[in-house]
Amino acid sequence: MKGARAWMAVLAATLLLAPLLAERGTLNDLWNVAFAVVLASAWNLLGGFAGQISLGYSAFVGIGAYTTVLLADAGWNPWLTLPVAAALAVLFSVVVGLPTFRLRGPYFSIATIGVGEAVRVIASGMEFTGGSSGLRMPSADFHFLSNYYGMAVLALLTVGVMAYVRGQAFGLALSAIRQDIDAAEALGIPSTRYKLLAHALSAALVGTAGGLFAMNFQYISPGSVFDFRLSLSIVLMPIVGGIGTLVGPVLGAVLFSYLQIKLLASPTLRDSYLFIYGGLLMLVMLFEPHGMVGLWERLVQLGRRAGRPVAGAPRGG
Amino acid sequence: MAAERILEVQGLGKRFGGLVALDGVSFHVDKGSIFSVIGPNGAGKTTLFSCLVGSQRPTTGSILFKGRELAGLRNDQVVELGLVRTHQIVRPFRDMTVADNVAVGSLFGSRHRRGADARVRVAAVLERAGLAARAGALARTLSIGDLKRLEIARALATEPDVLCLDEVMGGLNPSEIEGAMQLIRDIRASGVTVLMIEHHVHAVLGVSDRVLVLNFGKTIAEGPPQAALRDPAVVAAYLGDEAGGAAA
Repeated sequence: MKGARAWMAVLAATLLLAPLLAERGTLNDLWNVAFAVVLASAWNLLGGFAGQISLGYSAFVGIGAYTTVLLADAGWNPWLTLPVAAALAVLFSVVVGLPTFRLRGPYFSIATIGVGEAVRVIASGMEFTGGSSGLRMPSADFHFLSNYYGMAVLALLTVGVMAYVRGQAFGLALSAIRQDIDAAEALGIPSTRYKLLAHALSAALVGTAGGLFAMNFQYISPGSVFDFRLSLSIVLMPIVGGIGTLVGPVLGAVLFSYLQIKLLASPTLRDSYLFIYGGLLMLVMLFEPHGMVGLWERLVQLGRRAGRPVAGAPRGG
Repeated sequence: MAAERILEVQGLGKRFGGLVALDGVSFHVDKGSIFSVIGPNGAGKTTLFSCLVGSQRPTTGSILFKGRELAGLRNDQVVELGLVRTHQIVRPFRDMTVADNVAVGSLFGSRHRRGADARVRVAAVLERAGLAARAGALARTLSIGDLKRLEIARALATEPDVLCLDEVMGGLNPSEIEGAMQLIRDIRASGVTVLMIEHHVHAVLGVSDRVLVLNFGKTIAEGPPQAALRDPAVVAAYLGDEAGGAAA
């Protein structure tokens, strides 16, 4: 996977060196990219590697965000709330996973929509979460640059964890579960345990990102962090980029953040982004199920063929 | 010689709603033997395997394996105890290499998974199944004969005490069948007890020590292969009660 390593080096260099060169507006955009990379790559662990398509990931963003705000309100240093945010997201992932992982394919996906919506409704109705008007971080010191580095490091950590998992027995088990869960069990893989593990690991990363989101935006509401459209974006990014691959979710995240920034800047298009995402999704499903990564590989192959126009040449590995 | 009973099934029953797939099936398998299960289509053979390994829960009865009750355990727990099955319709992980397919069995099904020599064990299994040359190929590129070998190789990689083979010879040509029979004898020679479902009568006669004949979920005969196949109930099940019934 030399190609993947080169892509990752580009991502790392961009995120870590940007503060030396770029001004605040660009860094804000890059923060959004890093946030999207965490969500897309972490979702890809369960959705891409293990093939369990969850449509309820905003729940983890929201749980992380609310945990951070509530604890900061109680006087905690916001950075110290992040492990708690991750832990509560993990706990929730297990509570949700135990019943829903008994379901297969689309039934699992539909159940996760219900879970995500239930959490949003509860957050909107409870007093301690501020109801539908949400919560504000205590107006203490706000350091954009630390927030930026926090999210950048989390994004790189997430991608690093995914690269590591892929080479381990754990990654092989998830791949087996995705391809044929009955055959996986018949060879000794405790599928529910591994699905719960993948769910928990990705929930920890997404929950942490939710906490960082609250620190950077200072204000959260059910409409921002528990939104179904957020869950949908989290699914679309890896699919458009290349589901189950290492680089795909990153590419999808970059594309989506870019589109969102452009669309939000244009008053005529700002409400049409789901329409555009939907269109992209249809294009991917119809023409390139492996997403942007698949498209890239196709182009590389095309280029190779063009550069070596010897008839009947055997196709190299 | 008084052989040790490695598997003892008592009154095994499985119902799907109103359909009785298995009805009080009892038998035992001696350690180190080759035991065949035969019967017409729909007799309950594959359901029997599913119940043994725990991918389906039996409605009644008990399954004693090395003295331990298996009924109620999950498939992955049964595999870890040393009882594994193959599938009649092969179920490879198509987007994995042949070696990775076998590694799944070796890493998760075997009790020796902690060893760092997983790669070595995978190579040995591939060699034994005649797949060493295809180790790096994606499973989706294999021929049906090789896929059948892969199905057996993955199961062998879990290092079972009892290997349940579900119609591994279906769809093979005569020379491939000879190869498969030799592989089964080799597996037994290595100390693994073999329980197999087979339609191919020649193969059953050629390798089995004992045969269980099922029809409509019930045992209709059990014993040495020659005797079991001549049993009037078995002849009736396969050929029909009256002459002119469809032959299997």
